Amino acid sequence: MPIDDTIYAYSVGRVRALETRLLDQGRFERMIDAASGEEALKVLTESDYAAAVTELDDVHDFEYMLSAELKNSFELIRDISPRPEMIAPLTLRYDVHNLKVLFKAKYLGVKTDLFFPVGSVDLNKLEFAVSEDDYRDLPGELRQAAESINEDFLVNRDPQVIDLILDQVLYKQLIIFAREHNSIFLEGLFVRQIDLTNLKTLVRVKRMGLDREFLKKVLLPQGSLPADRLISLIDEPLESVITALNMSEYASLVDEGVREWLEKGTASRFEKLTDDYITGYLKKGKWKAFALEPLVGYLWAKEIEVKNIRIVLVGKINKLPAEAIRERIRNVYL
Amino acid sequence: MTGTEIALMGAAFAVGLAGIGSAIGVGIVGQSAAGLVTEDPDKFGQTLLLQALPGTQGIYGLLAGFLIMQEVGVIGDAPMLELEVATGYAFFMASIPIAIVGLVSGIYQGRVSGAAVGLVAKRPEELGKGIVYAVMVETYAVLALLATILLLFGIDV
Repeated sequence: MPIDDTIYAYSVGRVRALETRLLDQGRFERMIDAASGEEALKVLTESDYAAAVTELDDVHDFEYMLSAELKNSFELIRDISPRPEMIAPLTLRYDVHNLKVLFKAKYLGVKTDLFFPVGSVDLNKLEFAVSEDDYRDLPGELRQAAESINEDFLVNRDPQVIDLILDQVLYKQLIIFAREHNSIFLEGLFVRQIDLTNLKTLVRVKRMGLDREFLKKVLLPQGSLPADRLISLIDEPLESVITALNMSEYASLVDEGVREWLEKGTASRFEKLTDDYITGYLKKGKWKAFALEPLVGYLWAKEIEVKNIRIVLVGKINKLPAEAIRERIRNVYL
Repeated sequence: MTGTEIALMGAAFAVGLAGIGSAIGVGIVGQSAAGLVTEDPDKFGQTLLLQALPGTQGIYGLLAGFLIMQEVGVIGDAPMLELEVATGYAFFMASIPIAIVGLVSGIYQGRVSGAAVGLVAKRPEELGKGIVYAVMVETYAVLALLATILLLFGIDV
């Protein structure tokens, strides 16, 4: 007999209530139509962000508010989940993100504070490990990745290895985790994320004019689109890329997103469509009454919400036209 | 075992299994409801109604058990009967419909009601529809109780 799925009853019941407080499309429309960043922020005072907004001294500080919100959401879901370990792989992405930022700051001297305090490893611990070159306190897979980045960089001085090694480790771990826990749902999610990352890599490598060998090295092996098929597309014109992928489930995304990227040179449409694609996948499991799906879906919904708020506020602060902001807003999960 | 003992085992069977079904069902809805009420305490009344729905199987089981006990004479003024083994088995068989259907339908009704808690979270005005879905499961517990009662009344003692 499978694990009694009604262990999720409490957490899903709670998530149902939380879902009603997510910002809907209408709220984002009002933010977009606001006259300024400050005005857009005011729209949030009628939501769960109210307390955080009133504490904000300056609209430019909104990142703190967003990362705090994300952190709270992850902590809450982890607390109420009957199997908190199933949420852990979702935070691994943030550990990897934080490590990337730290390594880039160290090797390239880029100063940034774009950390997310969401990961499973404490930020101070990560910071200490990278600055002291002492990775003993990191969990196994991150430790190995960090050590090999360090070694590789000292020899080759190529900052690309940071993203490369860390992404490979991340997705390998995610797939291993999903298989170990027999979660078809999580594996499906991760495989789709890998496919989308690979598509993105393909277009990037194509645009940079790099060769097959390089692409072979950077593609993630666990996706559902076979790597050699993607590699064979590197010298093909746009139309054949679209034709080659029109039987895959990413057909419309490639047709719309990749086309715009290759023709106009902006990836923003593609990025939006990939996020919407994952939202679409997660929405399929949203209404399960006793399952992990609604919990994972809610966290994704929060990530999208935070992303949307960021897009609107950055757009408003930089006085982008409303249309340009609207184009980039992700579909909400509701 | 004497016939009377077998008949009483049937009573225990009906009360026990149907009661387990209800306990599990009510338990599931209670968990869903507690999750919702943590965030939205105003929904207590509506979710309580949903939680009560899978409780009926236990009552049906008790009713069937009560009827058997009465016929056998464990309760009431009449003296306790000395039943033939075959008659004892007849009582036992009669308890099976409500025992088994009560167990399974209680659990499933709990799952439907638990899902309906999610419905109430989003659309409290649609509580009625959630109840209707759960009551559809109830039908089969009622039919099983009916079968058990008809069987019990058909036994000559």
